[in-house]
Amino acid sequence: MLRIATIDGHKRMSTQELLQKISRSLEDGETDFHISASGQHDIGGPCWNGTGKPLRFVVSNPGQRVGSMCLPGTEVIVEGPAPADVGWLNSGGQVIVKGDAGDTAGHCAAGGIIYIGGRAGTRSGSLMKRDPLCEPPELWVLESVGSFSFEFMGGGCAVVCGHDSQTLPSVLGQRPCVGMVGGTVYFRGPCGELPPDVSLLPLEEDDISWLDKGLENFLTAIGKTGLRKELSIWRHWRKLVPAKRDRAAKRTTMRVFHEKSWLPNGVFGDILADDGRTEPLCAAGNQRLREPLWNNGKMNCVDCRQCLEYCPRTAVKRREVGENMDYSVVAAKCIGCGICAAVCPNDVWQMRLVSIESVMR
Amino acid sequence: MAAVNRIHAQDITVNDLPWKIEYDSASCIGCGACVATCTFGAISAAVASKGTSIAARRQKDGERLVIRQSQSIPEACVGCGMCEKVCPADAIRPVRNPESRWQVIARGPDTIKRGGRKAAHKRTLDSIVIGRISQMTDPALDSERHTFDLRSPLGRVLKPVDLPLKAVGENLLIQGPIPSVRWIYPLIFSDMSIGALSARAWEAIALATAYLNEECGMPVRMCSGEGGVPGALLQSERIRYMILQIASGHFGWNRIISALPKMKADPCAVLIKMGQGAKPGDGGLLPAAKVAPHIQAIRGVPGVTLHSPPNHQGLYSIEEAVQKMHLSLNAAFGFRVPVAVKCAASATSVPVYNNLLRDPYKICGGYFIDGIDGGTGAANEVSLNHTGHPIVSKLRDCYRTAAGQGLQGRIPLWAGGGIGMTGDAAADAFKLICLGADGVILGRLLLQIMGCVGNEHGRCNACQSGRCPTGICTQDPRLVRRLDVDSAAQSIVDYMLAFDAEMRKLMAPVGNSALPVGRADALVATDRAVAEALGIQYAC
Repeated sequence: MLRIATIDGHKRMSTQELLQKISRSLEDGETDFHISASGQHDIGGPCWNGTGKPLRFVVSNPGQRVGSMCLPGTEVIVEGPAPADVGWLNSGGQVIVKGDAGDTAGHCAAGGIIYIGGRAGTRSGSLMKRDPLCEPPELWVLESVGSFSFEFMGGGCAVVCGHDSQTLPSVLGQRPCVGMVGGTVYFRGPCGELPPDVSLLPLEEDDISWLDKGLENFLTAIGKTGLRKELSIWRHWRKLVPAKRDRAAKRTTMRVFHEKSWLPNGVFGDILADDGRTEPLCAAGNQRLREPLWNNGKMNCVDCRQCLEYCPRTAVKRREVGENMDYSVVAAKCIGCGICAAVCPNDVWQMRLVSIESVMR
Repeated sequence: MAAVNRIHAQDITVNDLPWKIEYDSASCIGCGACVATCTFGAISAAVASKGTSIAARRQKDGERLVIRQSQSIPEACVGCGMCEKVCPADAIRPVRNPESRWQVIARGPDTIKRGGRKAAHKRTLDSIVIGRISQMTDPALDSERHTFDLRSPLGRVLKPVDLPLKAVGENLLIQGPIPSVRWIYPLIFSDMSIGALSARAWEAIALATAYLNEECGMPVRMCSGEGGVPGALLQSERIRYMILQIASGHFGWNRIISALPKMKADPCAVLIKMGQGAKPGDGGLLPAAKVAPHIQAIRGVPGVTLHSPPNHQGLYSIEEAVQKMHLSLNAAFGFRVPVAVKCAASATSVPVYNNLLRDPYKICGGYFIDGIDGGTGAANEVSLNHTGHPIVSKLRDCYRTAAGQGLQGRIPLWAGGGIGMTGDAAADAFKLICLGADGVILGRLLLQIMGCVGNEHGRCNACQSGRCPTGICTQDPRLVRRLDVDSAAQSIVDYMLAFDAEMRKLMAPVGNSALPVGRADALVATDRAVAEALGIQYAC
């Protein structure tokens, strides 16, 4: 066991001096550190023993990022509170803070377990994620967390026990879980307004058995086993998971919105008849822009049947009336392309514009 | 058919027109679809004589069916490309004619008229980039997950010190009138009238507006345009989403006034249109052919050509405009509805804004400035191409004038005219907001989203003709059937959802959760003159 005091009279050991001292001791095979710190950063990680022995750091008065980038096999115990970024980027260690933790506790943790025996600050648990090669990270907080907690959380489990916090408007602070896409947040107590990113659900059997087991370890680690009973009333607990989101699919289609929610006959319904039907670019019948007229008499039809042959829609009709010929078009088939008129050698077929006025009537 | 033509040097032929039909008779299958589809009569079927044939595969005497382009000016091809779209054989398409003599031959005795926007040119907005990216100085935001506040005011915003409030004990008592302010989405679907658009196109925009509000949580507002509002909409709750426009012709307002006792809700605002960026000094015009029966019913007019004069009769000064028009329209809606004014950007915009800012009655609820790149359904081409004022520096000047007096934000500034001309409306909107706009108005882009094929390079732009090939700017019921209301509305909604996401993408790097109105420090210009005129950083 190595005891390190970081203050000698008026002289304070710098972070670099402390971390390098720890480093040298690790190389010498030391595995158990008791550090009386004075605000030095980054105590506890990333550290390892060459032969794979577990490491233990018992720390008081650490600076920021205690237990950050912690590796499996490392245990960091903070006797009392710790400032920001406890267990930042935790990659498998166990970090225990007996008192409160500052902001962004557990930020980006991707493995290991973090226990906080008091409150944790704003943005705690933000961007926690799960590495598929490891067990999911855990962040346990005895009391409450500050605002913007669990932002963009992508995996792992967070537990906020709400001890001594039940009169707060929210044990998760304001606007928790914005952008949360993975993992689970268990909590006990009020939670305030939630973003659309998450679904609020009651616990299921599996949740309870996981919590029950984890709670025992947590309370033992922070030395508060007396709270076991208070915190084990499972109906006081709820969980937040990412909402199953498919915004586009959730929205009503425009057709349904039009039918169900829009003005019953549309905005022009009382003054303009419109059945809503659409026509292709090339339309027949009364939707034609132009129509052919067979002006026999004025011109002389020689019954050459070119129009019959060339009409692309077989809309031209030839009828024998006694000794005379009678040509016409079936409006429902005719698109008004004017090919009959083009091929007619005597200009008997002539094209005429169908006026807007006649269509409006 | 094959009569020998006696062509004179002065005769107008397809070589003189802006678009030429490129036609491949060898591929043509003679289905006639292109001719049936063309709304302009620009092509027709004909029989080519022997000797001109490349692939004489039909007709006696080597004659064969071909498609010919009309050589007449009224039937000139506008390049809309519907023939190409409908051709099953890939045999026909319009191509731009670089040797066009259109500008010389199309006049006489009348002016050239068209719709659309000004011809393409280098845009000021394109030499501005969002160059201040928050990194080490202050944190950028996550555009996907951060909550952004995209809301802009419409209405007169009082200084806190001017609010008629008095503290009595723990209560705050209202001692006098407080102008109403609407906090709406920073993009308004701008004024396109029921006469300019087909009923389906207008309804599609109204439907998209309702959908964006009710299904997407985006409080987008639509301005009616100057031609009145359908009675059914006036009497529906959805009138909340509408900004009612009044222009010099006051068309449709008799019907709006008659509907007042039956209205269930207040409109969002009233917009007094003094002028339009696309054609300042040119009035509104709706040719008789477009005054369909439903328009007569909404406007309460007979089916004749309708003019809105370029000026409001009876308003002779800014003060008078404020006192008379603003007061009357505020009064009509019980002083509950903000009344704003829209002017074409002009060399005189700053004095006008200054005057409005100093109005002691604090009655003007918004100043809309419409720049030279705005669109129109019908204008004299000379107005379209040669009148107007660029919007960017004008907006900036107005903002700086207000800011110099500590009055920025008191009368919201809304800028328009060519927003989204390149398709990127969010970038345009964001840049204008950084330069001082509270929000932007856009119209033409909506038509393009719905399927309009017109552009700033002379394609189609025949909105004034009533022959719109996409059913958007016509009252011909046959052409209107080419537009599906729901699909058109859906396209607008989809564009707006993307617009919203893009706005966040631009707000995030600047580090603003709320709209960065006036944050010109977020912009840099890649053109020194632009940088100097706008008072922003130059970078190269």
